[in-house]
Amino acid sequence: MTDARLWLAGIAALPCVVIVASYFRVDVERLRRAAVVSAAGTLLLTIVVGASPGLRAFSVHTTALGWTPGGEALVRVNALSAALLPFAAALWLLTVAVTPRAMLARDGLRRTALATLVTLASFLTESAVVLLLLSAASVWIFVAALGDPAHRRQRRVVALYLGGSTLVFAAGVALLVSPGVTGTWAEAAAMWLIVISVMVRKGIVPCHAWLPEAFDRGRLGPAILFSAPQIGAYITVVLIVPRASPDLLRTIAVLALGTAVYGAALALVQTSARRACGYLFISQSALVMAGLDCTSVSALTGALVVWLSAGLAFAGLARCVLVLEARRGRLDLSTYHGGYDRMPVLAISFLLMGLACTGFPGTIGFVGQELLVDGAVDAFPVLGFAIVAASALTGLAVLRMYFSLFCGRPEPAAHFGLRLGLTRREAWTFVALVIALVGLGIAPGPLVHSRFAASREILQVRGATVTVKPAPSAGQAVRRMDPSPRLRRAPLPARSATVLSRRSPPRRSVAGGRQGRAARA
Amino acid sequence: MPAASIGWLVLAGVAAPAALFGLLGGASVLNRPLPERWTSRLTAVAMLTACSALGAAFVVSGATLTAPQLLTYGAWSEPGEGGVAIQFLVDGRSLAFGALSAAIAGVVGAFSNRYLHRESGYNRYFVLLAMFVTGMLFVALAGNVEVLFIGWEFIGLSSALLVAFFHERPAPVSNALRVFSVYRISDAAMLSAAVLLHHAAGSDSLALLTGARTSAAGLTQTSATVIALLLIVAVAGKSALLPFSGWLPRAMEGPTPSSAVYYGALSIHAGCFLLLRAAPLFEHALAARILVGALGAATAIFAAIATRVQSDVKSSLAYAALTQVGLIVVEIAIGWYTIAFVHLAGHACFRLLQFLSAPNVLHDLHGMENDRPLPSRGVRPGGSPGVVRQRLYLFALERGFLDPLLDRGIVEAFANVARRLTRFDAWLCGVLMPAPARAGVDRAEVRDD
Repeated sequence: MTDARLWLAGIAALPCVVIVASYFRVDVERLRRAAVVSAAGTLLLTIVVGASPGLRAFSVHTTALGWTPGGEALVRVNALSAALLPFAAALWLLTVAVTPRAMLARDGLRRTALATLVTLASFLTESAVVLLLLSAASVWIFVAALGDPAHRRQRRVVALYLGGSTLVFAAGVALLVSPGVTGTWAEAAAMWLIVISVMVRKGIVPCHAWLPEAFDRGRLGPAILFSAPQIGAYITVVLIVPRASPDLLRTIAVLALGTAVYGAALALVQTSARRACGYLFISQSALVMAGLDCTSVSALTGALVVWLSAGLAFAGLARCVLVLEARRGRLDLSTYHGGYDRMPVLAISFLLMGLACTGFPGTIGFVGQELLVDGAVDAFPVLGFAIVAASALTGLAVLRMYFSLFCGRPEPAAHFGLRLGLTRREAWTFVALVIALVGLGIAPGPLVHSRFAASREILQVRGATVTVKPAPSAGQAVRRMDPSPRLRRAPLPARSATVLSRRSPPRRSVAGGRQGRAARA
Repeated sequence: MPAASIGWLVLAGVAAPAALFGLLGGASVLNRPLPERWTSRLTAVAMLTACSALGAAFVVSGATLTAPQLLTYGAWSEPGEGGVAIQFLVDGRSLAFGALSAAIAGVVGAFSNRYLHRESGYNRYFVLLAMFVTGMLFVALAGNVEVLFIGWEFIGLSSALLVAFFHERPAPVSNALRVFSVYRISDAAMLSAAVLLHHAAGSDSLALLTGARTSAAGLTQTSATVIALLLIVAVAGKSALLPFSGWLPRAMEGPTPSSAVYYGALSIHAGCFLLLRAAPLFEHALAARILVGALGAATAIFAAIATRVQSDVKSSLAYAALTQVGLIVVEIAIGWYTIAFVHLAGHACFRLLQFLSAPNVLHDLHGMENDRPLPSRGVRPGGSPGVVRQRLYLFALERGFLDPLLDRGIVEAFANVARRLTRFDAWLCGVLMPAPARAGVDRAEVRDD
């Protein structure tokens, strides 16, 4: 079983099984069981693919979708996707396992499987055209989830923002894949268009207004599934970081740092739990974006770790809110709801997942944020401290939510006598997620090591891409792409070099990056 | 050979409460709390192990070590490149404070076992106590700023959660949030200091702060001052120095043993201990040293006044403890490090005894609370003028007006701006889209998948 194609086919087949089954007259609870089994199977397969060095070097190139020398990887598994694939599968498992029975619907399960399939496919490609199609598909799935009349207004808001973002993305990709675009104004314009599109999708200020609205008055489940994987971050890594100028990256990073503080500050004063979740997501998403655009190994690694930790923790946190809503209705944070004694597992899980979001020591978020702060302060000696402020505010917002949702009242009289505890499936899912977040926090070595490898690959591709540009002056071009001093010190792992040299054409090889550095020296 | 034995002893000392925290916490997450009997026994064993191991390390190091020693236990994440290394810096002071912390926690654990017997939050209390002791030992023995920060965060979170121990009442919960908000300011300052130290000196080892390497490590006067100022904010938040003293009486909502161990004995002294560790840095930053001395003196005077009018015994004791903390800070600023450390250790033990005996005293005296009459106007023979006394009384009763000051100056201003921005975001969506056809329909709708 060393053929990656078989494994990838297996990964794609499991969501497809659920999609097909949803069209038959299967009892919805049985369909959910099938979805849980499929999601667990997908998680297992993706972990195997991510952990096997032999499978990780797989790629399929094509020259049909662009004019990039050597073509683009239509499908590829590398160090970056090795962790993102299990991440997407885990989000699917979390979604189907803890969706309350009253909110379960056949079309919802189908949509969830379809969204996961799109996310998995997105994490497997670096083709701009394919990413555009998949991005449009994910937006369509999300907008379709808001199809009922009660969410008409939110549907319009989301369609306007995300539809517009997709159109802008399409314009950017069209420019990017045009022949002879390398090094011209068209490439810069394409970069700006893609950046704007990503900013809308990730809710970076000033393009963020749709996100709290979608979380608060839209449907929280689809909103989580659309936002938590952060396909916008993936587009940034694959399309923007390798090609964008340092000025553009700095601009994005500064906006993202500001957004991180903005989101955390606003999460602190919300009276709606859903809206607070929306702003928390904006803050976390911006932290990832800031790290990706700092172009130092440390910041990039931190961002990749935070991407996973905050994504999982945030999805779990928002799912806890949904589970609570199923028992209590809308949750108002301006009052206390109590209930810790009835739902201790949910309360503890909520607190721990929130702490993982904030980067509390002992969770995987801590290691990610440490690396992120370190790299961000390297790049922005003053603005980098925005991450510290965002982290402090996020921690406060999470504890405020915890106190409001689980403390402050003996027992809500309105619900007295009702069974408020978790079902076994919900409890085990939350506990498993907490164990994963804490376990990876106590022993983060393998994950951090793999993210270091991924970030080095990304920066090597960036260095190699830029050194082949026909810039006006060679010295200038090399200077523009100066990797951080940390990168210069860091030796390239042998495995990464193999992967790159195998899947990249000669002009985008590691040698290009090294020659650039030698020229600079 | 002695160095290796010290390494093992320190590891055992720190690992015992950490393992207890993992065990009790893991059982809580799985909703399978251990029986009270097991919890109390395990706590006693862990604290005894920690105290004995660190005490033995103290004796061995006193006999063999002439200089502080940095013990490295590998890297938590990636070595180098911003990774977190597990390092402890051991000298007589750190080992003594570590052993003292474990001993005090052991005493409090034994006391709490009876005090909280059959309380619904018994297990939760001991989880948080184990977390606190782990944090205290990390702070006491930290060899780099990351380890210090981990301990700092553990202390802060466990403190806030214990203030909200009686979580079915709103007052402890809102006070816990208040306490935690000050702690977050302290944490942010600590993390900023850590990052600045790393970037200014190229290393985050606490040996930079504790030894003569401060100047050699490349810390300029300016960077030393900035780091010292950030440390002062961190210390002021954690040790309730001015202007952050307002949270201290609010923190008395927790059970008495936790108030004793946090605000009488250990947590409130964590800031002082950090100042002691960073004393060489302050010697390079004269302005920061003067500031910290002034803060300590002002806090001592304020707390001495405030403690005289408190109407409940725990608040009164808390302010009395704060008076001594202020004096310890002054001693550190002057440079009397040994006196400050002895003062710290003695005061921690004494105040712990006072806090733990407070419930008994209350029980014996019954009517002790609310027994202070408002002073009458006019000049008492040999006393200060009535107006001055009246104002001082009001000042003390209102706890220096610190809470309204922070509320109006920071909290309300921040909340107002944030709420306006929230409204702006909502307005932005409202402008783009008309109101829904059926008013309120989306508010009632919670269907989801």
